[in-house]
Amino acid sequence: MFYNDRLLEIFQRSRNGQFMKEVDYDLRLAKRTQELVKEYNIIFDPLNVCPSDDAMADRVFQAGLQLFVDVGAYHLDTQRVIKFSREEILDALRQAPDTLYLGEGRDMVIARHHSIEDPNPPLNLTGPAGQPCSEDHYLELMISYAQEPYVHAVESGATLTYNGADIMAGTLMEVKAVQRDAATAREAIRRVGKPGMHIGDAATGMTAIGKMAASEPTRLLRPCDGRLVAQMCELKTNDDQLIRVPHLLNYGSHIINLMTPLTGGIGGGPAGVAVVSVAETLLGVVCYFATYHYLSITHIKWTNNSDPWGMYVLAMAGQAMARNSHIVWTDDPFCVNGAGTIENLYEVAGHAIIGSVCGYQQHGVGSTGGNVVDHHTGLEAGWQGEVGIAATKSGITREKANQIALELLLLYKDTFNNPKLGKPFHELYDMKTITPSQEWQDCYRRAKETLTRLGLTFSYGPYD
Amino acid sequence: MDSFSLQKEIADELKNALTIGDKQTAIAITQHAIDQGARPLALVQEVIVPTLTEVGKRFEDLEIFLPELMAAGEAGNACTALLEQAILKSGSQIQNEGTVVIGTARGDIHDIGKNIVTSLLKAHGYKVIDLGKDVPSARFIDEAEANHADVIATSALMSITRAGCREVADMLRDRMMRDRYLFIVGGGSITQEYADEIGADGFSETGSGAVELVKSLLQNKRGA
Repeated sequence: MFYNDRLLEIFQRSRNGQFMKEVDYDLRLAKRTQELVKEYNIIFDPLNVCPSDDAMADRVFQAGLQLFVDVGAYHLDTQRVIKFSREEILDALRQAPDTLYLGEGRDMVIARHHSIEDPNPPLNLTGPAGQPCSEDHYLELMISYAQEPYVHAVESGATLTYNGADIMAGTLMEVKAVQRDAATAREAIRRVGKPGMHIGDAATGMTAIGKMAASEPTRLLRPCDGRLVAQMCELKTNDDQLIRVPHLLNYGSHIINLMTPLTGGIGGGPAGVAVVSVAETLLGVVCYFATYHYLSITHIKWTNNSDPWGMYVLAMAGQAMARNSHIVWTDDPFCVNGAGTIENLYEVAGHAIIGSVCGYQQHGVGSTGGNVVDHHTGLEAGWQGEVGIAATKSGITREKANQIALELLLLYKDTFNNPKLGKPFHELYDMKTITPSQEWQDCYRRAKETLTRLGLTFSYGPYD
Repeated sequence: MDSFSLQKEIADELKNALTIGDKQTAIAITQHAIDQGARPLALVQEVIVPTLTEVGKRFEDLEIFLPELMAAGEAGNACTALLEQAILKSGSQIQNEGTVVIGTARGDIHDIGKNIVTSLLKAHGYKVIDLGKDVPSARFIDEAEANHADVIATSALMSITRAGCREVADMLRDRMMRDRYLFIVGGGSITQEYADEIGADGFSETGSGAVELVKSLLQNKRGA
């Protein structure tokens, strides 16, 4: 148990823990994960990407907990392993919040722990979510997200330039860009009449200095907003990430534990990555004091999670945490296809349905695998929220979610190796009215028809 | 047992050990092969390189996962180190296809893609100086000079860190060293367009593509 200041204890262990080369830690983690997958009989079936198996969900949690106990967290700067006892982890989990107040005033939303097949619709905490953005239309882009009726929070994208010059991490340019982007996010929510809306992060910031530079309540990020504290694949942290924690705790801000577990990566296949995802959530609970968690599963080749591996990890890790904790969890759909394509909307929908029945609040969206500048818009983000709500209101079960997700998969799986990149934001929206083009709205309506045919009941949407 | 069957038996055993990433067995077989008089260079060129190439292909085809690739790479590195010692002892020269200095750009701590490229380059007989992650731009050049490198390779996963690649390119030009090294870039945030913009010699989206790129660039340079 932590008897005193948990952060100081973490610091001490990061200096006194077992020394280990990074590659040895990776191989140890990989080996232990595969042992636990066998020991706990965690099975991946590509035809059942959203299993309705409570016992397996519990086994995934136990395996993830055991993995974290056995391998600990790896500190990249000191090359030491930070270990925690089972009791310390479970005690920190017990102390984690189950209810969050995001934003302020009339725009504040309450995020609660979600259970499996929860009857309450999920929130949609979204935005460009760290995707690459040009500075040319950045305010308009942020407005396109904030104005969507099924969006409850926005997170900044990662802009590439400041007055045309490259932004370099760890330099004054990073600080200037973060402060500009945080101010732009505030301006966007003000322009759409939601000045109290929660802002999830200033993603242009890569370093602790960049992230912390956004802490200024009048024009930049307020305590009711949040900042990401990230893990490196897998179960790795460093001083730059840990430095953010005492700052954000003192500022009273939300801390968001960002995990990007790689399917096909060190965790191996989907069963192993589900286990690793649970362990990474526990790392965020213990080391980052996270108020909420952000699972961004990433395929090692396509950088998406709309494939069967990604869907399974989403479903099983979500159910494991939903049944064995009270934390607030979010997930994001990462799609190979870009905004402006109906395939993008199908990828988002499959993910939103599984996420909403497996214990998540919604987060996202990543289009073009997060690779192409400006190929993302508010429409697909709002669509995610609308689908999540429709899935809940339609009483979708895990079994039905599996069926719908697999039917949607047939409509886009051929694009994994040849994605349709769509069009950039400024070609998909009228830049004066910030309205999606007829072509993009048509995609939305066609996708909605497909989802209705597959069993979702929608209420009125913005582009019907 | 004649020498041919001994070589084939050893080759098969070593191939199997490398494929499953059994480092200790692979080292033992390699040592046994050296003791039996096997030609070190033949083991590298006829067993280790093709086996690791095949493992790399299976990884890119999603037939195996990263741990298998890493384990095979680690086993291959250990065997190659042993064989290099044997080659040096025999008074012969170690041949390598070229020397590559590699690392992730300043500020970028995401190195899985870079590690894959490193493993594949080593598997193909290149000497790789891996500088790790979050590498200051000047260090790429300093290490390239110190190691008489042929190629400098920088990667950036995050869009905000790709400016580190440009900084390396600019430094090479400013120090009048641009023609001395081939400069290639990769990583999730890099596109061909960006590579062209900063004046890189090449860009690849995949690990195997990076190997092909290095190979063809070096061939062109040496042929020129």
